[in-house]
Amino acid sequence: MKLNIIQQRGLWWGISTMLVLISLVAMAISWQQFGAPLRPGLDFAGGTRLQLTRACVATDSCTVGLDVSEVRQVLAQQGLDSSSIQVLGDDQQVLSIRTRNLDVEERTTLQSALDEAIGPFDPGSTQIDSVGPVIGRQLLVSGLLALLVSFAGIVAYLSLRFKLDYALLAILALAHDVIVTAGVFAILGLGLGIEVDSLFIVSLLTIVGFSVNDTVVIYDRVRENLKLNPGSHINDVVDSAVNQTLSRSINTSLTTILPLVAIFIFGGQTLKYFALALIVGFLAGSYSSIFVASSLLALWRERTGQAYSGDPDEATPQSEPQSEPQS
Amino acid sequence: MAKYRAWLGVILALTIAAVVVITQLPTRLGLDLRGGSQLTIQVQPTEAIPTVTEREMEAVQTVVEGRVNGLGVSEAVVQQLGNNQLLVQLPGVSDPQQAERVLGGTAQLEFRAQRAGTDQQLQIENQILQGHLGELAALQAALPPNGAITSETQARIDRLQADIANSEAAIVALFEPSTLGGDALTDAIARPTSGTLWEVVIQFNNEGGNEFAEISRAIAGTGRTIGIFLDNRLLSAPTVNVQYAETGITGGSAVISGNFTAESARDLEIQLRGGALPLPVEVVENRTVGPTLGRDSIQRSLYAGLAGLVLVLVFMAVYYRLPGILADIALIVYALLTWAAFNLLGVTLTLPGIAGFILSIGMAVDANVLIFERTREELRSDKTLYRSVESGFFRAFSSILDGNVTTLISCLALFYFGAGLVKGFALTLGIGVLISMFTALTCTRTLMFLAISLPQFRRPSLFCPGLNPVRPNPVRP
Repeated sequence: MKLNIIQQRGLWWGISTMLVLISLVAMAISWQQFGAPLRPGLDFAGGTRLQLTRACVATDSCTVGLDVSEVRQVLAQQGLDSSSIQVLGDDQQVLSIRTRNLDVEERTTLQSALDEAIGPFDPGSTQIDSVGPVIGRQLLVSGLLALLVSFAGIVAYLSLRFKLDYALLAILALAHDVIVTAGVFAILGLGLGIEVDSLFIVSLLTIVGFSVNDTVVIYDRVRENLKLNPGSHINDVVDSAVNQTLSRSINTSLTTILPLVAIFIFGGQTLKYFALALIVGFLAGSYSSIFVASSLLALWRERTGQAYSGDPDEATPQSEPQSEPQS
Repeated sequence: MAKYRAWLGVILALTIAAVVVITQLPTRLGLDLRGGSQLTIQVQPTEAIPTVTEREMEAVQTVVEGRVNGLGVSEAVVQQLGNNQLLVQLPGVSDPQQAERVLGGTAQLEFRAQRAGTDQQLQIENQILQGHLGELAALQAALPPNGAITSETQARIDRLQADIANSEAAIVALFEPSTLGGDALTDAIARPTSGTLWEVVIQFNNEGGNEFAEISRAIAGTGRTIGIFLDNRLLSAPTVNVQYAETGITGGSAVISGNFTAESARDLEIQLRGGALPLPVEVVENRTVGPTLGRDSIQRSLYAGLAGLVLVLVFMAVYYRLPGILADIALIVYALLTWAAFNLLGVTLTLPGIAGFILSIGMAVDANVLIFERTREELRSDKTLYRSVESGFFRAFSSILDGNVTTLISCLALFYFGAGLVKGFALTLGIGVLISMFTALTCTRTLMFLAISLPQFRRPSLFCPGLNPVRPNPVRP
């Protein structure tokens, strides 16, 4: 397999631009609806989520799934009409209720009311998540801060190991991956009501780490090829660097995404969408490293008059192992 | 080859050590996996105290710790979080509602005069209480650290806690109720007296000073005590000398002396200050996972992890052949070393942590993939097997280093800014990345060089399928 990255760069950039535009539009629509680019989950918006599982000791109590309208009635009696209710699980025996932030008295009342009307529920399988508005803001701010700091750290490290232009283009590719992942979740939020929590920020950061890894491997090869072939045009250098690292890119993406697919299929509810975010991000990351970051580097060098490497920094050879003759 | 034999020895020793660590040291599971409550408590500033300082936080923490002990949860953790929050972890708590109610209230400090004729009773009740407390502490200290409590032990703990509550109630009953509480106390300071002895000075506001004078006058010289209660638990019961029988202790300040060491005086000081604290606390976050639910998610995640690992191992062996199989061995060593590192460092494994671990398995393969791809390239350009393998490692190194450092940068940012679950993920992923670099560069390398030192493995086709060994003039792609 041989890819003509440079020749078809219009196509690659077109695909990326379209994905980014769709993502931005989805986030804009989402902003109109929820006041945030993505549908904010409990962690960021604050509130209380109760997840209750019906105790099925008496088997005949579990033949029918839970009835949402019954639950809604109980909630209405407590003055919690605007809460969202979901029935989960294979047998429709798990109830997930998201309300405004309840204090302990309100929550106890609600739980016993539900227990009486619909239950009994198994206390061993109960999950309570209650997040006050202060904590929500704190989680959001710390998450965004972590994202910015790692961007800055990566730029600093790459400028040190490569050059500033490599670093900035790598960050551009990263921004692409982050925007596309966020866009997919904006669409999922609009279409399926999927919310993002603090694990989503974690997945964005992991995507950043992974995708820059991908870009670095290709840039590393570009730098090496520039050293080995000082006279060739940057377009050819980039093309062969991408093709030389192509099977590595595919295999690494495959081995990383395999476990994630396993988590997406077998893992519990909590990790399902975390794995999905990573899968989307890693795919976007591989795409942008192979097709976008590399061709942008070529374009940049060409435009700035560095199409042929004459840069003494770039030509400093790394010492080869003693036994290895220079090829 | 002697060098690689030595390395093989090191790797074998490390692997055996890892297996020993895994079997001997327990893996610490987070509350989301074993069930339990995690509460974040925020200290609210008031008009009187607009900023919460370290001194106040210390006092509040002591009060909260006292209440947590009252809940009788073994292995509970109370940690300061930021500058005005406390994180409380209650593994296996059975009644999260009760915990939240008890932890969320404002501390109740009270000064009460002992009722007449209860001297002996107080002594007896106190002895019984100390006995119970001692037994409970001994019991909890002997618990296995992994929280596997037999129902028998649990029953004994429950009974002791009931007894302690009864004793405390009995002691409270020996004192007159009073209105002199923490809001009247302005400060408490521990200070050394002569030699190694310490005392605690307490200061009241005007109103409180008058009330304290009243109480102290009533009991001065009678041998009865002033009971200082925090959340209905007796902290200290000092007597008042007969010289104060006329006026009581006036002036709004008093000294509690006795057999205080520096440590016990400081304890009392902090407890008093905590009780005096007019700062309300509020539970701002509650994450509770039932024990059965936790067990369910750990099982699912483990299945997912194993399935993912098996798929990766199969892929490597099929695609890269001999090196792939060697990488698989290195990968298993990697998994064992990482698991052992978690146990050794006391990493608490949460659900995202397990995800981080599984992800790091996928990423650990990357280093091997880079090396093998390079080796194949060199083989295709007609180098000898030995040189190809050697330069595969050499040339892949800078990519491996750069890729891992950038991942580590993200991990650091996550660890530094993140909280709770997020921190766990960053830590496990970071440890995984570091160990994967070690195993890729030492373990895979050692195995590869040992393999090519054996004649039966020295066939390039085992390393690169489809390689035509008689191709006369190889062209670089």
